Order: sequence, then structure tokens, then C-alpha cells
Amino acid sequence: MNKKVLLALILILTAIVMFLLPNDRKKIFSNLDTLAEYCSSASGETSIGLIKKVAQAGKLCKNPCMIQLKSYDINRALPKKELTDHILMMKRMMPETEFSFHDTTITFPQKKHAVVSTTLRLSGKINSDRFTDAYELSINTEKINGKWLFSSFSIVEFMEQ
Amino acid sequence: MKLSDTTRRFLFPSLNRRYLTRLLLVGFSCYLLFSYILIPLRIQGHSMEPTYNDASFAFCLRPQYSFSEIKRFDVVAVRFTGKSVMLLKRVIGLPGETLEFRDGALYINGKLIPEPYVKHKNPWNLPPRSIHPDRVYVVGDNRGTLISHHIFGQVPINRITGGVIP
Repeated sequence: MNKKVLLALILILTAIVMFLLPNDRKKIFSNLDTLAEYCSSASGETSIGLIKKVAQAGKLCKNPCMIQLKSYDINRALPKKELTDHILMMKRMMPETEFSFHDTTITFPQKKHAVVSTTLRLSGKINSDRFTDAYELSINTEKINGKWLFSSFSIVEFMEQ
Repeated sequence: MKLSDTTRRFLFPSLNRRYLTRLLLVGFSCYLLFSYILIPLRIQGHSMEPTYNDASFAFCLRPQYSFSEIKRFDVVAVRFTGKSVMLLKRVIGLPGETLEFRDGALYINGKLIPEPYVKHKNPWNLPPRSIHPDRVYVVGDNRGTLISHHIFGQVPINRITGGVIP
């Protein structure tokens, strides 16, 4: 076989392997997608399904998890139980809402600590009225026992009245 | 009906090297144009009604403020962490100005500023405030909502991704 073709094949194979291999960045992206899926609500969701999803969302977060929402005057560490209660309440208040993360960047200030900067987009229906909303989030994640867990969430408030 | 040679070549081009190169160039140009210069916007929400309605379509012209200053009443796209999700707002206050709403009317540096684009109005009241030197004040055209339900305020100029057309 021609040497050039062989070299190209090796390069392509290396690129494919590199692309498919799991890494910390991919795991954090995957956790974000999973969190969005668990926080989203669809019409006709059963109560058991809802509780299961909330419990799974709680498992993605460190216990306790820091929440900073300046405009709501919230700045404290929430134990897992309280956090899941809040997610449950939010899902009940917004029964047909889809969560999605966009324009996500991940930086690693330390080996077991990552900072995620992302845009959370909410879209759905409240009382048959369609709504969309977006927030810029800064999320800290920590690697604990080989798992990446969200350790803090804060809303970046760049608009000031 | 018989197609002319030109029409036939246009509708059924032969997949030769030249054609594929042209296709690649057109694709790459479209990618550059619609990713970095003229970003398509699908509008969701009612905050800019009646100027931009829910489910309508517009473009964000990124280089608009590369060679000119932001002017009052320009409609701009304000970014969050990127350009996938942006807020569409109108600039009503410029850096260093004092802004106030009195019974739904806009006052800049104490002077009443008419806003012909506002069709739905609520008696908004907002005490006077100064706009930071590196910020502009943005608000939606739909003032029919309560002031507490509307997202508006001063944003850093570096958050303005570009102007909005048409």
C-alpha cells in the first residue's frame, strides 16, 4: 500500500479514536444534557415518573449544592433533599417546559474542578400561553470519586435596571 | 417540452471536479456569511411587539457597530454566552445619560422623548438612573406588560452582538 495512503488512514483512525474516547469535557457535557432532560417536563408525565426524574437530577449534584440567585436573594448551600424539593416544585409550576443548554464553554482551573459557562433556555407553556426565557449560568463542577458533580449554580446578571 | 442546454445543465449538472469545487466554495461562503456576518434570528416571545412578532424572522448584522456608534432607537441583539440565544431589544439610553419612565413616557436627561414605535403602553414608572459609561440602556417595544414582567436594563456594550435587520 502506498505510504501516503497508510499515513492518512492512521491519522483518520487516530482522529476517530480521539473523537470517540470519553474525556472529562464530554462527561460534563453529557451531565448537562442529562440535567436538562430531567428538569424538562412533558404533558402527561406521571407522578412517579416525575419523582424519578427529580431524584436522578439530584444525583448529578453535590450534597450540599451552592445556589446563588442574586435577584431572588438566594445565596446558600442547599442539602440534596431541599434541592430536589425545589426542582419538584419548579416542575409542578411549569408542567410543559423544556430546558436546554446552549453556547457552553468549559474551563478547568484545577484537575478535579471545572467551571461551566452556559446559557439556559426555557421554553414551554404556562396556562396555555407560550413562553421563552433565557439565563446565563456559571456552574462549578467537581470530580468526586470519579464522577463529575455539579457543586454550584449561579445566574450571571449582566442586565441592571 | 424540451429543455434548452443551459437549463438542462443548470438543473442536472454533471458532477465533475469543477462543479464540486464550486459547490464547496458556495457552502463555505454561506457558512461564513450566516455564522459570522448575518446571523439568522428566529424570534420567540412578545417583548418586541409590534415591531417584531412572535415566530417571525430577522437577521443580526454583526459588523454594524464595527465602524459606527450605537444610536438611540437602534434594535440590537444582546448575547448571553454565545450567539445561539440572544435578546432582541431597542436601545433607548446611551452611556452617561440619565433615564427615567414617568407614567409610561420616556425621559432622557429630564426631557420627554417620544417613542413612535410603542403601541401597547402601561403606565411604567422608574425613578431616574444614570447609565454607566460602558453601557447602553435597552428595553422591548411591548410596554403592555407590567414593568416587573419585562426584561430590560443597562447592558455592557460588549454584549451587543450587532444590529437587527430588517
